[in-house]
Amino acid sequence: MNFMKNLTRGIIRENPIFVLLLGMCPTLAVTTSAVNGLGMGLATTAVLICSNVVISALRKVIPDNIRIPAFVVIIASFVTIVGMLMKAYLPALDASLGLFIPLIVVNCVILGRAEAFAFGNSVINSFADGLGMGIGFTMALTILGSIREILGAGMIFGFSLFGAAYEPVLLMILPPGAFLTLGLLIGLINWKTKKA
Amino acid sequence: METKEKVQIDWKVVFKLGFILLLISGVAACCLALTNYVTAGTIEEMNIKANTVARQEVLPEATDFEEVPAEDVVKVATEIGMEKPEELLEIYAGKNGGEVVGYTVKTGPGSGFSGEVQVLTGISTDGIITGITIIKHNETPGLGALATGEWNDQFTGKSATEELIVVKGTAKEDSNEIQAITGSTITSKAVTAGVNISIEVYQIMSK
Repeated sequence: MNFMKNLTRGIIRENPIFVLLLGMCPTLAVTTSAVNGLGMGLATTAVLICSNVVISALRKVIPDNIRIPAFVVIIASFVTIVGMLMKAYLPALDASLGLFIPLIVVNCVILGRAEAFAFGNSVINSFADGLGMGIGFTMALTILGSIREILGAGMIFGFSLFGAAYEPVLLMILPPGAFLTLGLLIGLINWKTKKA
Repeated sequence: METKEKVQIDWKVVFKLGFILLLISGVAACCLALTNYVTAGTIEEMNIKANTVARQEVLPEATDFEEVPAEDVVKVATEIGMEKPEELLEIYAGKNGGEVVGYTVKTGPGSGFSGEVQVLTGISTDGIITGITIIKHNETPGLGALATGEWNDQFTGKSATEELIVVKGTAKEDSNEIQAITGSTITSKAVTAGVNISIEVYQIMSK
């Protein structure tokens, strides 16, 4: 029961992007297409789950006053591993996300969950939390990427939607499009949840 | 005058904390070394393969390629008088039956919209550009990233005797003009800059 609660919390109620507003930098930077958003989300989820599990398992070993450097070492190692695996086995995705993968290290979602959840909870619950937060993060990035790709390029997951006659709104895949889409989505979610 | 409070350092605790951190870092380093050991070969292999395929694509006449030694590449860069010699990355001589049929030059002009754009240019010994391809870029999807396939084809067949220039609107046929990608003049200029370096390299290599 607890497991399910921890799992679902990150997806909607405490969605890292739309509600907690953590990890804005990769969110704004990579969501120029649905595939990029999905890829970044999955890479972050992998790191988040691994770091949550390891940090939770080591929570009795790591002394309180050096927890932050310990977290950073653990997170950075997983990011580097994910980076190397992507380079070797998913070269196409690596080519479009390359620059942002190392930056997962400084994604505050991961350090935030380590500090706020994994360091004080059991391994299984931390796994659920990591998975839930990861799904929430991936979902948010994919939605943002899809909206920007549809409006800005007239495509979804690389497939053309409207044919050649459609004049894409280039602004949407440039940085302002990220801010506009994110702002409107957060506004929409707040409006919906306030009403309920 | 303020008196400084004397801080007592408990060295035992300091060493204990340091040791724990060392232990964590050590284990992390081992995991990284292991992953690197597993993936390094695959990554290297893939890079080599991708580069060979790209060279073949831009200089189809050649059957095998021989790398020009790095010190000669540096010499060529100084001879051209390049402001940023690091933008000239590699030169390969393309051969067919032992005879040099052209050169492929990899350049990395840093003047793209989002930094470096790596361009591979093939030039045959007749002084004709046989093809170009973008190896690596970080340009905006839907804009600068359109510098692929079709757009690159307009370089093919251009003469490697004079500098190419980027124009907005339609480029004249049989001229040294390159038509810019709509909305991505910066990317177009960066790619063309790479090709122009290659042209200068060719002129020196073919002397």
